[in-house]
Amino acid sequence: MAETPIANQIRTLRFLAGEMTQAELGEKIGLTRQTIAAIEQGKYAPSLEAAFRIAHVFGKSLEEVFQWVEGSPRNDA
Amino acid sequence: MATKIDVLPGMAFREKGAWIGLITLVVVYGLYFALMPPSPVAGDHMATLPHLGWFAIATILRGMMCVGAMLVITWRTPSADRLKPDERDRTIDRRAARVAYFTLFWGMIIVGIVMPFSHQGWEIINAALLAMVIAEAVRHVIIIHSYRRGWHG
Repeated sequence: MAETPIANQIRTLRFLAGEMTQAELGEKIGLTRQTIAAIEQGKYAPSLEAAFRIAHVFGKSLEEVFQWVEGSPRNDA
Repeated sequence: MATKIDVLPGMAFREKGAWIGLITLVVVYGLYFALMPPSPVAGDHMATLPHLGWFAIATILRGMMCVGAMLVITWRTPSADRLKPDERDRTIDRRAARVAYFTLFWGMIIVGIVMPFSHQGWEIINAALLAMVIAEAVRHVIIIHSYRRGWHG
C-alpha cells in the first residue's frame, strides 16, 4: 500500500472528543467517512485546507494533528 | 424500519461505481468485440456498417446495467456514505481522467495515423471503438487502484 509521509493523531483525537465517529468528523469538514478513514490509515494526505479544518474541529494546531515522518522514502529525495 | 446492511462497508461509494463500470464494460464490450467480424465483407465495405448498430445496442445495454446496479448499490449504501464527491474523490477522478486521456490519445494516433496505411474502414472504425473502450477501462482501473492502494499525490 502506498502510504503518505504524513502521520496523524486523528483517531486519538476522535476518542478524546467523546468517541466522535468518522462520519461525524467528515460531516463537520465536508469529507466522506471513507476519506476520513483513508486519512487515518495513511492512505490519503488531505489538502492543506482540509488539514486546517480537521485541526480546528479538535481545537488543536496543525502540528498537533499532523506530523511529518522523517525517513519515509518520499522524504529522502 | 429495517437498518440497511452495507454489503461492502470498507469500499468507498465511488469505488463501487467504478467496479460496476469496469465489470459491465468488460462483459458487454468483450462480447461485442468477440462476436463482431474483425475484417470487412469481401467486396463491400458498407456491408458491415449495420454491425455498428450492435455497438449502439451494447452501449445502451451497458447503460441499463450500470443504472440498475447503481440503484441497488445506492439503496444498499447508508446515506452518510454516498455524499457528494469530496476532495479525495475529485482528486482520484482527475488522475483517472488524465491517464485515460493519454490512453485515448495514443489509441487515436494509432487509429488515425498508422492504421490507414494498412487497414480499411471497418477495421479502423472498430479499432477506434476499441480505443475508446480501453480508455474507459483504464479510467475505471485507475479509480479502483487509487481507492485500494491509497492516493496522496
